Amino acid sequence: MIHFLEIANRILFHYYLACNLAYLVMLIIALKTSAEHQHGLRSSPAGWLKDTPLAPPVTILTPAHNEEKSIRVSVRNMLDLDYPELEVIVINDGSTDGTLRELREEFQLRPVRVVYVPQVPCARVREFYRSRVDPRLLVVDKNSAGSKADAVNAGLNAATSPYVCVVDADSVLERDALLRIMQPVLSDPKRVVCVGGIVRVVNGSEIAAGRLRRVRLPRKGIEVIQVVEYLRAFLIGREAWARANMMTIISGAFGLFRTDIVRSVGGYRAAAIGEDFDLVVRMHRHLLERKADYHIQFVPDPVCWTEVPADLHSLGRQRARWQKGLLDALWRSRDMLFRRRYGRIGWFALPYAWLFELISPVVELGGFVTIGLAIWAGVLSREFFIQFLVFGYAFATVISIGAVLQEELTYKRYNDWQDVVRLLSYCFLEHFPYRQMHMFWRLKGMVQYFRGDLAWNAPKRQGLRTTAVH
Amino acid sequence: MLKTGMATALARFSGWGTAGLLVKAIVAAVIADALLLGFILLRRAYRNRYFAERDARVFEFRRNWKALISGQIPYGTWRTNHVARQIVEDMALDAYEAAGPEESLRLLNFLRASGLVAKRILEARNHQGWRRRQALVLLGRTRAPEGIPALGEGLRDKDQETRLAALRGLGRMASPQAGQEILHWVGESGVRVPALPLQSALIQCCAERPGLLLPYIRHGDKAVREIIGRVLGEIATPAMGEDLLEFAGDDLDELRAAVARALSHARSDLELETLGELARDTVWFVRLRAVVSLGKLQAPSAIPFLLRGLTDSNRLVRLRAAEALMNFQTEMTAVFRQAIALQDLYGLHAYLTALENAGLEKQLEAELESARWTDKEEAEKLLNVLHTRKLPMELPGFAQHAPLRTAARP
Repeated sequence: MIHFLEIANRILFHYYLACNLAYLVMLIIALKTSAEHQHGLRSSPAGWLKDTPLAPPVTILTPAHNEEKSIRVSVRNMLDLDYPELEVIVINDGSTDGTLRELREEFQLRPVRVVYVPQVPCARVREFYRSRVDPRLLVVDKNSAGSKADAVNAGLNAATSPYVCVVDADSVLERDALLRIMQPVLSDPKRVVCVGGIVRVVNGSEIAAGRLRRVRLPRKGIEVIQVVEYLRAFLIGREAWARANMMTIISGAFGLFRTDIVRSVGGYRAAAIGEDFDLVVRMHRHLLERKADYHIQFVPDPVCWTEVPADLHSLGRQRARWQKGLLDALWRSRDMLFRRRYGRIGWFALPYAWLFELISPVVELGGFVTIGLAIWAGVLSREFFIQFLVFGYAFATVISIGAVLQEELTYKRYNDWQDVVRLLSYCFLEHFPYRQMHMFWRLKGMVQYFRGDLAWNAPKRQGLRTTAVH
Repeated sequence: MLKTGMATALARFSGWGTAGLLVKAIVAAVIADALLLGFILLRRAYRNRYFAERDARVFEFRRNWKALISGQIPYGTWRTNHVARQIVEDMALDAYEAAGPEESLRLLNFLRASGLVAKRILEARNHQGWRRRQALVLLGRTRAPEGIPALGEGLRDKDQETRLAALRGLGRMASPQAGQEILHWVGESGVRVPALPLQSALIQCCAERPGLLLPYIRHGDKAVREIIGRVLGEIATPAMGEDLLEFAGDDLDELRAAVARALSHARSDLELETLGELARDTVWFVRLRAVVSLGKLQAPSAIPFLLRGLTDSNRLVRLRAAEALMNFQTEMTAVFRQAIALQDLYGLHAYLTALENAGLEKQLEAELESARWTDKEEAEKLLNVLHTRKLPMELPGFAQHAPLRTAARP
């Protein structure tokens, strides 16, 4: 027993150290990449694409399930985007509220028949509508199959552009979002097959007429912690993985894909819980098996703002769902692990996801138990334990502050002193008790998955109609 | 010496033990936290001060703008200060982009007289990396023809980002001389930048004189011909008709597609006939471009080709052909009748979809029901097709309209 506790605690110590060191390396890579990106923006502003007649057409796909509070604002926002060749497809995924009614009123929809080729599977489409006020808008009204993936597939079947951009209905895009996300594609159209955009937290910011007017931090601590998390995940994690062409996830809230590739992998998997991770891993598999020379890119410019859960209950459900999605996608792609044909994805990206993302709640929460037992059994000195805790806390804080530094050096969207001070404060406060709760939610998600509870659990929305989301 | 040093360090390291290491690690992490925090807060404070001072300067310059650009305020008072020079240059270039011809000339004279153009030329020639790129972009914004050679040198830089900056700079010039510089470089070194920025720059520069492109299409390599052909497709003028016909039978798909696009100005029967041929090409995107161009012509003689487009194997071609047919509202009944006669369900659906999208379904219905329509039985059948979207088994008087066969079903 004592021997087991000693080994368990040693594993925990090294695991924690390795996890934070990996993040430290990613922080350094991300800082370098961002600096290069910033210099690049000076000589290649995104605006030039706006005036070219050669810009490849893009279709925005927006699945909407019970989004009556925000649908008007977000669709108006999408139609106002700066892009010369744009089509917007909103997929009403069996909403039981007034989503379709809101769309009908705002955009004067009329039923139309479109050429719809069901190349990827999805639930039955009931009707197509086109807007009288803006013919670029097409609404696909379909039966709900209980997943966002199924809704996006319906849009994918109706899309006519070589590129599709999947955007959540509760997200707000900046006016030049498409111009920016298309930049990597235009730089290398043959190799770039999809591009992930950064997603930032909109809670607390001021929105007017579908546009973000002023970026502010949310009021609630739980939301501010999510701001720190998003900064860390996107400005450090994604940036570094993309640099090595090993991105395994493109956020479902904002991502651009080559239509033919998504169709050729069968679109989103309707039963997938984490459809964004699942799709990107399947794309990697598809392309690597064909020995394709491809690139999955990331654009760090802040262009997509999304609402995050404002209460613990919704947040817990969201994180449990994310964990289920991760487990589901990783389990299905387990045959890619350590196989030569899957290259760096099989050797680095997926093992990292297994080791430091999937099993981290098991290791961390299990670690609390073994440490407690070890202290009780007198195997572990209290002094060492406290020192380890302090070290872990200080190291993890370096990473979080590093993410804020990255934001400060590059995009600097939080202009108020008060916001920055609060943001930095939460870099210190997020580790207790939020981190432990987070681990618990994730563990719960894994348990739910093994018990076969694969329900979607849509998060509670506050909507973007008001001028400020708190 | 080195060995001794390392041995000492190792000895000291092992002497710490795990607990000792941990204490050091805590100290290091806490120091890192403090340094990061301090850096963020100090940087913020510094930037706040910097921008406050900058704003005050901008306000000052704006107040004295006329005196500044007329040279009443000596250039030497601001030119030697880096921040002031940058502010003035930004303000002048912003004003230049929005100015009319007279004001543009005045501002260009100011940029020249103050030495800002010469400075950017010097930087574009002598700097490297992002400084060179910045100079190239700003030089392009000045649209000063004397900057073209420096931009041309930028095209030959070993770094792609720098080449792109030079290309964008030349594109901003939007002059045939700049276009010639780009074409000369492409002819000499091939395509060494992504296609779209190159095409955009050429469109901007060669719009006035698209004939500049022709020698490069005739004699360039495959990649060059493809890219320049696409540009030609965008900017070709009706006067180029005969030159374009020369490339209609080219082996290069992209070039045929470009010709199909460029012939949207077709005037002669020969040009129309060529467009009809391209609408039967074996490559779908050539047919697509031809169908779109036929639609733009809005000439009744294009209708048979567009009807054939309805039976195309590619759905985009069918859709575009159907959309183009919506331009012929006076012939709507006849076109609808012909669309049915094709006996192609996909084609019929494409036509009906375009009809609905154009909001013309009611109009066609009314026409079919109107007294002008003499053959009541046929009208009934047509209305039935319109409502049910199903092809009739038999329709009187349709025998003479044998279904047109699509030339290419790859």
